[in-house]
Amino acid sequence: MNIVACVKQVPDTEALIKVKADGSGIEEGGIKWVMSPYDEFGVEEALKTKEKFGGEVTIVSIGPARTMETVRTALAMGAEKGIHIDDPALYNADAYATASALAAAIKGIPHDIIFCGMRAIDDDSGQVGSILAELLGLPSVTVITKLDIEGSTAKAIKPIEGAQLLIETSLPCVITAQKGLNEPRYASLPGIMKAKKKPVEVKKAADLGLTVEQKSTVAKMSPPPARPPGKIIQGDDPAAKAAEVIRLLREEAKVI
Amino acid sequence: MAHGAQHVYTVGHEGREVFWNAPYELILFAFTAVALAIFAYGLFRRWQLWKALGKPEDRMDNTGERVKSLIVNGLFQVKTFRDVYPGVMHALIFFGFFVLIWGAAIDATQFHIGLPFFHGPFYLWFSLIMEIFGLAVLLGIVIAMYRRYIEKPDRLGYRGTPDNRADDAIVLVGIGAIIVTGFIIEALRLHVNVNVDGFTWGAWSFVGYGLSKTLTGVGYDTARILHKWMWWIHTFIALGLIAYIPWSRLLHIITSAANQYMISLKPKGYLEPIADFENAESFGVGQLEDFTWKQIFDSDACTRCGRCQDGCPAYLTGKPLSPKKVIQDLKTYWLERAPVVLAAKKAAAEGEDPVIPEPEKMMVGEVIDLHELWACTNCMYCMEHCPVCIEHIPKIIGMRQYKVLMEADFAPELQLTYRNMENNSNPWGIGAHLRQDWAAGVGVKTLAEDSDVEYLFYVGCSGSFDDRGKKVAIALAKILKEAGVRFGVLGAEEGCCGDSAMRGGNEYLYQIMAQTNIEVMNGYGVKKIITMCPHGYNAIKKDYPHFGGNFEVYHHTEILADLIAQGKIRLKQSVQGTFTYHDSCFLGRYNDIYDQPRNALKAVPGLNLVEMSSNHAKSFCCGAGGARMWMEEDIGERINDVRADQAIAANASTIAVGCPFCLTMMADGIKDRGKEETMEALDIAEIIWDAMGLEEATASAEEAPKEAAAE
Repeated sequence: MNIVACVKQVPDTEALIKVKADGSGIEEGGIKWVMSPYDEFGVEEALKTKEKFGGEVTIVSIGPARTMETVRTALAMGAEKGIHIDDPALYNADAYATASALAAAIKGIPHDIIFCGMRAIDDDSGQVGSILAELLGLPSVTVITKLDIEGSTAKAIKPIEGAQLLIETSLPCVITAQKGLNEPRYASLPGIMKAKKKPVEVKKAADLGLTVEQKSTVAKMSPPPARPPGKIIQGDDPAAKAAEVIRLLREEAKVI
Repeated sequence: MAHGAQHVYTVGHEGREVFWNAPYELILFAFTAVALAIFAYGLFRRWQLWKALGKPEDRMDNTGERVKSLIVNGLFQVKTFRDVYPGVMHALIFFGFFVLIWGAAIDATQFHIGLPFFHGPFYLWFSLIMEIFGLAVLLGIVIAMYRRYIEKPDRLGYRGTPDNRADDAIVLVGIGAIIVTGFIIEALRLHVNVNVDGFTWGAWSFVGYGLSKTLTGVGYDTARILHKWMWWIHTFIALGLIAYIPWSRLLHIITSAANQYMISLKPKGYLEPIADFENAESFGVGQLEDFTWKQIFDSDACTRCGRCQDGCPAYLTGKPLSPKKVIQDLKTYWLERAPVVLAAKKAAAEGEDPVIPEPEKMMVGEVIDLHELWACTNCMYCMEHCPVCIEHIPKIIGMRQYKVLMEADFAPELQLTYRNMENNSNPWGIGAHLRQDWAAGVGVKTLAEDSDVEYLFYVGCSGSFDDRGKKVAIALAKILKEAGVRFGVLGAEEGCCGDSAMRGGNEYLYQIMAQTNIEVMNGYGVKKIITMCPHGYNAIKKDYPHFGGNFEVYHHTEILADLIAQGKIRLKQSVQGTFTYHDSCFLGRYNDIYDQPRNALKAVPGLNLVEMSSNHAKSFCCGAGGARMWMEEDIGERINDVRADQAIAANASTIAVGCPFCLTMMADGIKDRGKEETMEALDIAEIIWDAMGLEEATASAEEAPKEAAAE
């Protein structure tokens, strides 16, 4: 089976995010970059699928040179090869442009099933998987927590509020992974060492015959409003302090 | 014929004819030869098995140190004595037999070479000494039998099932029989000789002499025949046991001594780093042959004495791990595998690689259960107290390395810990940029701000990120400032020391952590380091030198004790309550730091220090070492709760610690036992800072700016 997993490199969840003064993006200095956690579920499911049915897993990712590290991480987990689309026109691209680049790369290789994270934890757009499926003319099943493949049919469980859906579709298809789908594996050391020698093609948009077209742009990025500092109510009389708490909760916080 | 016969024994010429009444020299030689042949063949066979498997390792360097270990641990039985009751039991047998063998040698020398030792006062004293040591052996054997078969201590079994084997009984009965028959022979000889003119010194051999008095009704001729029989029985048993040595637990006479000679001369807790990640084909120990030959040999030195098991925190809290069982299971497995490997090597044609059949059982997972493997806290009790210097922990870590590095098959919570260490250089996974936050308001400079300092205060992850640990870091920083110590920190440039990765088998991650830290430290020209966590202390002191990190490392309790002794810290605030000090394994057993923390505590006015039932080298682990800090503990009782019980039993109101892991574990133990109203766990730095009585002044100065900021 020819399996593709799309991954995105994002800042670590614990990283300190500082917005650039001009609002054009974030300060990248000092940030630890990791694979987006939902993409990890996708890679793990890709590897499990390969282990069950045989075949190869190809990792596709878009981003600057540092992205190679994330591709290698996926290769260390057990994927066979990678495509790294490194084109400045695609850095910080919107979901449509990202999906078109992924589609362009995936069109050129055999693909029976494609895994994406349900969303990337940096821009939270959650659209790439679906647009990718549309561009490739494939069905997509999003936000799934369980996957069973039988022959050319995929059965996926998608949790919704108060219930879960069992969705069937035919292969090839695009699957986007939700937490709970699996526990991503820890790369073995031989895996890490072998990953250094696995083939990764680095491509520009033009190599894929792609003209980058964005449907939307981030006009401005700004930090969330600072949390107002806590208040310590001074005084010796507990009753008066309690009354002050009530007054503040009612008048300032407006929660009671 | 016996050469001694030419002497005349009278008062003033006391002595005796050796081999009296047993004149079958040739038959004796023949039997001796047979016994020695069986012994030699057994030893040769064993030698082949020792050599069959395992990687090379040099344990023959530095003869002086090795001979010293052999004398201390072998000849003087120092480690054996650490446990008094079985220590004395073994000493009675060991020293008794040691002396008796010299006696036999002197006997034989007189007989075969004709040196007339058995004469005059020498003979009389010799007789007396032989009697005493003969009795000692007998007493030792009786105690050993009583202990093994009637008292049945748990350590001579596993979870209540004794692991007594046939050779245990054969050896005890055999040695006992040698002594008993020896005394009977003596009694019969004295009985016959006692009426010879001028023979008046029989009482020097007081046991045989006493026995001979019970033989008054036995005729001399009968006595001579009985004597002859006894003499041969005695000789047969003795020769039999010599032949039996390589085939029984008696082999420990050789293997234990050899192991004491081949002791590790590395610092305690030393782990051989993996040298070449790029080119090695496998990592860690997955198969028996991945051990070094010495690691395999260890298992043959084990006498199943169970000292290791007796103090193992995992075993004592109901986990499947017993260090003794691990070593014995490896031994059984080796004795299955080694002959197969030998046969395969023999069958292989010259110059061809032997085709070694795959083992039927996996070593890691089947021979050694994974629950055993991961239960170890690396507390070092087993290695510290093994009288024959077996090294358990490197084996455990070797097998963990295999599971982690090769198979990536290990506890999910530990995987998360490692990911956290990879991404944020701390096990909790808190943003690495927050590492210096604890120091806000304490006024500690980073080396980037001022590198002209005497010490680097390596705070470590607990002091930097754990709320409880931060308080210790703050107390320590305040003390150091107050005492005028010039120090700085690395701030956000500091990284995790890597101890949990190393001991949890992730050597690769550990080396990345270590190398990153060393690069930063060397970049600032760091020479001396103070740590507040014994894990970082041990790693930086003993393991960082492998990667070019050579620093003078001090634990904060060493520094505190020193500052107090020098009068640079004045303790004026007296304290209430009873304190007990919990030895951190990585300070105590790993680094022999027992006195400094206690000295610092004793300097506090009014401090009443009591010891828990397990203390110093026999201290009981808190349960957090060996990466266990980050793992679920779901089998048996919690180790920290059992330790808290010991503190409760000692009537302590405060458990003083020198380790942030211990601090967490003891605080949890107090909570689990519902004692948080009356007990607390404190780091020694916190206790000292309180006793300095400066807190009020500092506290108000510190809180003022915070309030201002809040408004």
